Amino acid sequence: MFLRKYILFTIPLFLTACELIDYHPYDGRLDSDTSREINSLNIERIEKICEGKDTIRFIFMGDTQRSYNETEDFVKHVNQLDSIDFIIHGGDYTEFGLKKEFEWNDDILSKLKIPYVGLIGNHDVIGNGDQVFREIFGNENFSFVVSDVKFVCLNTNAIEYDYSHPVPDFNFLKNEIADSTRNKRTIVVMHAPPGNEQFDNNVKDVFQLYIKMLPSLMFCLHAHNHCVSAADLFEDGIIYYGCANIAKRSYLLFTLTPDNYLYEVVYF
Amino acid sequence: MLHAQEDKYTKRIQRYENAWQRVIPRYTKVQFAGSMAMLSVGTGWNYYRNHWETDMLLGIVPRNANDHANITFTLKQNYFPWSINLGEKVSFEPLSCGIYVNFLFDRDFWAKQPNKYPPGYYWFSTRIRNHIFIGERITLKLNPNSSWHKSISLFYELSTCDLYIINTIGNSYLKPKDYLSLSFGVKLQIL
Repeated sequence: MFLRKYILFTIPLFLTACELIDYHPYDGRLDSDTSREINSLNIERIEKICEGKDTIRFIFMGDTQRSYNETEDFVKHVNQLDSIDFIIHGGDYTEFGLKKEFEWNDDILSKLKIPYVGLIGNHDVIGNGDQVFREIFGNENFSFVVSDVKFVCLNTNAIEYDYSHPVPDFNFLKNEIADSTRNKRTIVVMHAPPGNEQFDNNVKDVFQLYIKMLPSLMFCLHAHNHCVSAADLFEDGIIYYGCANIAKRSYLLFTLTPDNYLYEVVYF
Repeated sequence: MLHAQEDKYTKRIQRYENAWQRVIPRYTKVQFAGSMAMLSVGTGWNYYRNHWETDMLLGIVPRNANDHANITFTLKQNYFPWSINLGEKVSFEPLSCGIYVNFLFDRDFWAKQPNKYPPGYYWFSTRIRNHIFIGERITLKLNPNSSWHKSISLFYELSTCDLYIINTIGNSYLKPKDYLSLSFGVKLQIL
């Protein structure tokens, strides 16, 4: 009896102690309850949710670094809404690329009732952050199709890498252009927009030419600048919409209809 | 004349040897976790009536999500304000505190941001981490006839580092269990 009480008392203590064991801020050793492969798992859910729908509503937000309180408020706010199909996070979960920053974000965002996918931000590449991102989210470039719209999500944080790592990855884009059987329209999503210090601006015009080869490019989305913006960056009719960081308590809400789209800036 | 010269030389050697004797490491320390590495092993010096200890530790961070394992170096300064004798062989230090600086040897991590970034883009270092800690320690004197060491100490510490503290600013969401790090260690006193 005494032994049982003793064990019951020590187990929570032991578990807390285990949680406090940290080898190194950049050790990449993820907790067992940290999500893995978020993007591929959630894309399956998103495609199922949107099957047969002709109007799609999604949220675009980003830059949740060092804003855990606001991110938590965002999750509580979104969980009260219905009629939103999914969320795209534009990247920058972390300020310093720390494993714990990724895990704190995951703890909060995994409470979302609707599925979300996440892009990689420049801060998420710092240290071994890109390797932790790959473990939690999956590939840095990915795409998915809902209704007749393909979302092409790209790593554009070129300054974080050297030339051995292609950013933006034109090979990936080439395959996306070739694989256009499931979609009539396309939206390109990235963390840093062309012209930004993060972008490989030597190829920004080529990049624009290339993404316009995707079927009916509707518009582009980006985060990174921490302010709401809508700009025709190349003066060719393709609008780049930027969302604010979550600390400003706002996000972009897009509604895609069969032949048009509209967006609103929502404050929570 | 010759005798006096020998004397001068002997004195000089004595001084020389005494100086070096003072820098001989006095103990071996092994520490588990503490955001410095999985396992750190090193040596150090105790001084000023054993109130102060300075450690130099080499640590290993095993390969996980990252591409490879990492080696770290830690320079640690400990302060023990009190030591309480519990019987003849056991003493207890109810408080240890101090700071340590941890370096990552991996070249992917930088002390100062590389030149490719605009000035002041990333103000922090990914290679060097500064930590503060508090803890407790218990020491057992060993029998000099039968053991290799003078004494053995067991300790634990709670620590946190600069970048964790910065994350807590304005974020009541983060609780001590999120940003505190627990570590355990052993010190084997040689001298």
